[in-house]
Amino acid sequence: MELTLCNHSSYPRIGDDAEHQLLRRTIAQRDKGERTDDAVRAAQNRMTDLALAEQAEAGLDLVTDGQIRWSDPISHLAGKLSGVRINGLLRFFDTNFYFRQPVVHGKLQRTEPLLLEEFNYAQGKSTRPVKAVMTGPYTLARHSVEENGGAGGFDKMLEGYTAALAAEVAALAAAGATVIQVEEPALLKYPDDFPRLEQSITALAMSKASAQLALVFYFGDPAPIYDHLQTLPVDLLGLDFTYNPSLVDRVASNGTARTLALGLVDSRNTRLEDPAVSARQLEKLAHGADLNCAYLSPSCGLEFLPRDRARQKLRHLAVIRKTFLGSPA
Amino acid sequence: MSRAKLQELGIDLPLFPITSVGSFPKPDFLMKVRADFAKKKISRGALERAERQATEFWIRKQEELGVDVLVDGEMYRSDMVAYFAEHLKGFEEGGLVRSYGNRYYHKPIITGEVHWEEPITVEWWKYARGLTSKPLKGMLTGPYTVMDWSFIEYYPDRRTACLALAKEIRKEVEALIEEGAKIIQIDEPATSVRPEELPVAIEAMHIVTDGLPAYFITHICYGAFENIYPGMLDLPVDNFDLEMSNSGLDMLELFKKHPYTKDISFGVVDVHTHVVEDEPVVEQRLRQALETLPEEAIWVDPDCGLKTRTVEEAIAKMQSVVTAAKALRSSVESDE
Repeated sequence: MELTLCNHSSYPRIGDDAEHQLLRRTIAQRDKGERTDDAVRAAQNRMTDLALAEQAEAGLDLVTDGQIRWSDPISHLAGKLSGVRINGLLRFFDTNFYFRQPVVHGKLQRTEPLLLEEFNYAQGKSTRPVKAVMTGPYTLARHSVEENGGAGGFDKMLEGYTAALAAEVAALAAAGATVIQVEEPALLKYPDDFPRLEQSITALAMSKASAQLALVFYFGDPAPIYDHLQTLPVDLLGLDFTYNPSLVDRVASNGTARTLALGLVDSRNTRLEDPAVSARQLEKLAHGADLNCAYLSPSCGLEFLPRDRARQKLRHLAVIRKTFLGSPA
Repeated sequence: MSRAKLQELGIDLPLFPITSVGSFPKPDFLMKVRADFAKKKISRGALERAERQATEFWIRKQEELGVDVLVDGEMYRSDMVAYFAEHLKGFEEGGLVRSYGNRYYHKPIITGEVHWEEPITVEWWKYARGLTSKPLKGMLTGPYTVMDWSFIEYYPDRRTACLALAKEIRKEVEALIEEGAKIIQIDEPATSVRPEELPVAIEAMHIVTDGLPAYFITHICYGAFENIYPGMLDLPVDNFDLEMSNSGLDMLELFKKHPYTKDISFGVVDVHTHVVEDEPVVEQRLRQALETLPEEAIWVDPDCGLKTRTVEEAIAKMQSVVTAAKALRSSVESDE
C-alpha cells in the first residue's frame, strides 16, 4: 500500500537566519527606493528554490512553489483582474494573518495569466512534480466587496471570478500541470451556498483537460457537508482533519467516491503529531478510502508555522507513512 | 455610561476624550539602538536608555497634540504578544511567521505552565506617568489573544491555556492598580476570530477584571464583528476600542439593530495606509457616530496601534484625530 506525500500549498518565505530573510530585506529595500522590482523577483526566485529543495529533502512526492510570491491568498489573484482595486486589511479566517480586500467596481476580467509564470518557474526548477494551487472563485468572491453595484451582485461577482479562474485552469493544464488545486475554505462558513460552489467548480472542471482537479477545504469542519462534496466533479478532495477528531470515523463509515488528500498533520500548531496516533487514524480511514491512491498532507498551508517547524512537519509526513505502513493490518 | 465610574476614580475627561490605541512607531534612533543591541554591540542598559528617551518623546508629543488620555507608546515592546510571552514563565520564542505583506513576528510557543513572576509593564507605566499630569492608560494584551497568537504545546486545549493565562494576567492588572493605574486597556484583537469561543474570551476577561477598581477598555480589531455582536457586550469592560474607519463604519449598522451599551473608543483613521485623512473626513466619521451613539459614550482614537506608520505619519494622523475631535467638541458644546 502506498500513500503519496504532498505539500498542501504555502511554505514559509522567511526563516530566522540571514539567508532566509533575503526576500523580506529586498522588499524593504525596494520600498525605500534602494532596490528594483527585478531584485525582488530574483529574491522570490531564490526563496522558491529553497522551498522546493526543502520539500524534496523532506521526501515529498508532490510539491508546490510555496506561494512565495503571494502577498496573500486573496489579493494575489484578485488584484491581477480588471474591475478590481485592492483595499485595506482584513483578518484571514481565524488566523493572525491579514489579507487586502478586493473592491469590485466593474466587470471582472482576466487580462493576463495569474499564476502561469510562477508555476512555470517552479516546474522548471523542481526535481518533483509541482502542484498548481489557486484560491477558488467562491472564496475570492466571499472576501471581496462590491462598490456601487459595479459587480452586479454577489452571483455576478462569483461568475466573473469563475470565468477568470477557469481560463487559468486551462492555461495551467496546457503548461503541464498534472494536479491543479482549488481552495475553497469559505464554503465551510457558508455551507448553504453549496449549489453556488457546485456550479462554479463544474465550470472549472470543464477547463482542466487531462489535469487532475483537487478541491480542498480547511479552517473548519467539513463533516456537515461531506456527503455533498462527494458529488462534485473533481478528481481529488482535500480535507482538514484538525477541527473535528470524528471526521476520521465519518470518512471510514461513509466511504468516498473521490481520491482523498488527508490533512492529518496540523499546520497551525507546532506540536508534532504522535505517529502512532496518526497511523491509527490512517488504519480507520482505510476502511472507507483507498489509501493506495490517497495523499497525506498538512492540514492547510504551512506559512502559519515558523520555517524550522514547517520543515519538521513535512519530514513528519514520511515518519507517519512509515509508521502506518509498518503497523499491523 | 461609565462617566460616573471615571468620576469615582477621580478622572474628569472632556466630551469626546481623545486617546490612541497603544503603540507608536519607534523613532529612528531607537531602531538603530535596537539593531545594535541585537548584534550585541551595546548593553541592555543602553537600550533601555534609548527606550526611555523614545517614551518621553511620545509623551511630549501627545501632550503637544492635545491628547486627553495618554499611552506610553510601547517603545520597549517588539510585539504585543511576544513581549508578554518573553516575561511570563512557560513560553519559548518561536520563529518568524508572517502577519501581512512583508511584516513578520516571532510567534511564541507555550511549552510549560504559564506563570507571572514579577511586574511586566509596571515600571514603564510609572516612568511614563512621571512625565505627564494627564491620565495614562495601563496597557496589556489579554489572555484570549495571547493564547490565540501562540502555539500551544503544553496545554491540552485552547480554553485551558486561555484561562491559565487569565489568572496570571490578572496579577499584572493588580500590580498596575497598586501603583495607581486607573484606566487599563486589555487588548483582545483576536476576540472576533472564532465566534464559538466568545464565551471563553468572556470567562477569561471576568478572571482578569472582576472586582478590581479600574476603568477597563478592551481593543478589538480586524475581525468579523457581525459574528460576535451583540454577544461581545458581555465582556466585563467599560469601553470597547474598535477599528471603525477601516471597515467603513459598518458596525454602526449593527448598533442600530441592537443598541450598543458601553463606552466606545471610536477608531477614525486607518492605520494601515500612508494616506493621512483630512480633518473634515475624520469629523464626518464622528458625526456619523453621533447619529447612533450618545455623545457622552464616545472617545476618539485611530483604528489600531500606529506602530506600522512612520513617526511623521503617526503624528499627522493623530493631529487629524485631535483636530476633528476638538472641532466636534466645540460644535456640540456650543449647541448645548
